Amino acid sequence: MTTITFPLPSLPQGWAAEKDFKPVDKAIKEATLERTIEPIGPHFLAHARRTRHKRTFSEDDR
Amino acid sequence: MSEMNTPKPDPDNRIAIGVTFGNANSSIAYVVDDKAEVIANEDGDRQIPTILSYVEGEEYYGQQAKNFLVRNPKNTVAYFRDFLGKDFKSIDPTHNHASAHPIEANGTVSFQVKDKAEEDAEPSTLSVAEISTRYIRRLVGSASDYIGKKVTSAVITIPTNFTDAQKSALTSACNDAGVEVLQLISEPVAAVLAYDARPEAVLADKMIVVADLGGTRSDVTVVASRGGLYTVLAAAHDYEFTGEALDKILVDHFAKEFMKKNPGIDPRENDRSLAKLKLEAESCKKALSIGANASFSVESLAQGIDFTSTLNRLRYETISRTVFEGFTRLVESVIKKAELDVLDIDEVILSGGASHTPRVASNLKNLFPESTNILAPSTTATAINPSELQVRGAALQANLIQGYEAEDINQSTHAAVTTVPHVTNAIGVVSVSPSGEEVFVPIIPTETAVPARRTVTVPAPKDGGDVLVKIVEGNTHIKVTKPEPKTQESSSKAAKVEDAEDSNEDSDASDEEEEEEEEKREKVWKIGTTLAEAAVRGVKKGGKVEVSITVNTDLSVVVTAKEAGTKNFVRGTLSG
Ligand SMILES: Nc1ncnc2c1ncn2[C@@H]1O[C@H](COP(=O)(O)OP(=O)(O)OP(=O)(O)O)[C@@H](O)[C@H]1O
Ligand SMILES: [Mg+2]
Repeated sequence: MTTITFPLPSLPQGWAAEKDFKPVDKAIKEATLERTIEPIGPHFLAHARRTRHKRTFSEDDR
Repeated sequence: MSEMNTPKPDPDNRIAIGVTFGNANSSIAYVVDDKAEVIANEDGDRQIPTILSYVEGEEYYGQQAKNFLVRNPKNTVAYFRDFLGKDFKSIDPTHNHASAHPIEANGTVSFQVKDKAEEDAEPSTLSVAEISTRYIRRLVGSASDYIGKKVTSAVITIPTNFTDAQKSALTSACNDAGVEVLQLISEPVAAVLAYDARPEAVLADKMIVVADLGGTRSDVTVVASRGGLYTVLAAAHDYEFTGEALDKILVDHFAKEFMKKNPGIDPRENDRSLAKLKLEAESCKKALSIGANASFSVESLAQGIDFTSTLNRLRYETISRTVFEGFTRLVESVIKKAELDVLDIDEVILSGGASHTPRVASNLKNLFPESTNILAPSTTATAINPSELQVRGAALQANLIQGYEAEDINQSTHAAVTTVPHVTNAIGVVSVSPSGEEVFVPIIPTETAVPARRTVTVPAPKDGGDVLVKIVEGNTHIKVTKPEPKTQESSSKAAKVEDAEDSNEDSDASDEEEEEEEEKREKVWKIGTTLAEAAVRGVKKGGKVEVSITVNTDLSVVVTAKEAGTKNFVRGTLSG
């Protein structure tokens, strides 16, 4: 697969949305599958900590 | 077995090592200054044969026990790891013909060996659990001797298809040897961890195939590696194409060579001669992983006759072709099982002893595209020794978790923590090619475990201005381009094929020609559902936009788009 990244498009004429953000679909629920991650490695430890303390990424960063 | 036997060392006083306990070999490793060191036992071995032997009441383990396969096979126990936690009826004793045979006693797989010194002592009936405990005691004892402190705890690697019964039998066997099992971890993922823990490793989303080619089994696994989290997507297990199968080919080859010089004497018909042949065949095989030639030499092979021969690598590769092709097919089958294509695989990790074989690695190199990284000693100078990968991973994991209470480790490995949604479509942003085509830029790849957060930096249009950030789902498919039909060439080829009928050389040539015209296969992205649109306004000329996507546990998606190096940003949420 190519690694060249082309530029983003310019904003079409007349595009408008509240706070410049327009949600279109919220369908990612159907696009997920339950699987099991292996409880191994440093990143898993961080995941387990976040999960067990119900923390988000940004709370974890602080 | 009983709770009473479970060692419970204080986390502050643990000495924790990594252990691999294979059917053929075991290894021990310890982390010093964040680096895993594979420990050599008192014989100087890092690959320690999983064998126990009893001679006049004395217990031998490892290579010393292996050597006794020639003179003392009945009191030597080998190839027993896979019997732990299994019914006698369900085991395959193929590999135990030339050593102590498994029997059923007290409802469990057992071995009868004379382990007492007294001349007239009855042989003992030892369960496979007891044999394992004795072996692990020796193995861990070697680690304690090396470290200079008593090892209290271990992380042990197991195949991905180990049942709960096998896991608990292994844990009990360790506990009975006085060792606390911190965690049982999967063999292929331990190998991945060994590579990911290298200081030069960069954290990247990768699709990995781990080909673990061992002595009595070959296990191939597809692992999605996403932000340092590992998910096994598919696994295949094979008991036919193995290191032992290669030894068998060499045994047969050299037995026939011997019989050419000594008609009528088949060294395979005598147990002792066969044992000698097997040991030398394995040495010869290992030598052929390094050199182009190897010698084969056995004193008094049969009827007092010495035998010496040589074998070159090319010949070895020819007679072993079926096994080598079996390895490749196994890899192909597991990729298919994961519903992936060879073009989806970023990295192939060769693990296990038979992975040292150069031809095995080069066959895999031919299977995958140029861009796939094949990590084997013969293809990558910086590859880690395939025989040490799993134990290094286990030692690193032991080092990571040794400070935690056992209860803490238990809770973290619970399904409530490990079973999570994985996205089945990639999530990314739309860019525009010079010809005006919309092109998908992946940000969160498929099979990423949730929650997940990723950021990419994409250029704004050349002149800057107001920019559209269109968040979409994406999927790949394999685009196949058929070669252009060349009328003239094909007619001349037809003529050639006709000519070729009675000549093998010519037909080979036309095969090659077909290969040249092979169809071109490439992976291309297809843009799917639009999830959201956002605007970043007034981006300066030549500016860049950082797009960050977070998928939360409740499957809500947070999008942030920001002009790089500024405070100019937009943020929005899609509810889950
Ligand atoms: N340098 C080498 N070249 C070729 N084959 C080798 C080499 N080193 C070891 N082997 C072979 O690898 C096999 C052992 O592999 P490994 O130690 O990974 O097995 P294991 O995991 O203990 O066994 P199993 O897969 O049966 O559980 C043996 O057949 C051995 O002869
Ligand atoms: Mg193995």
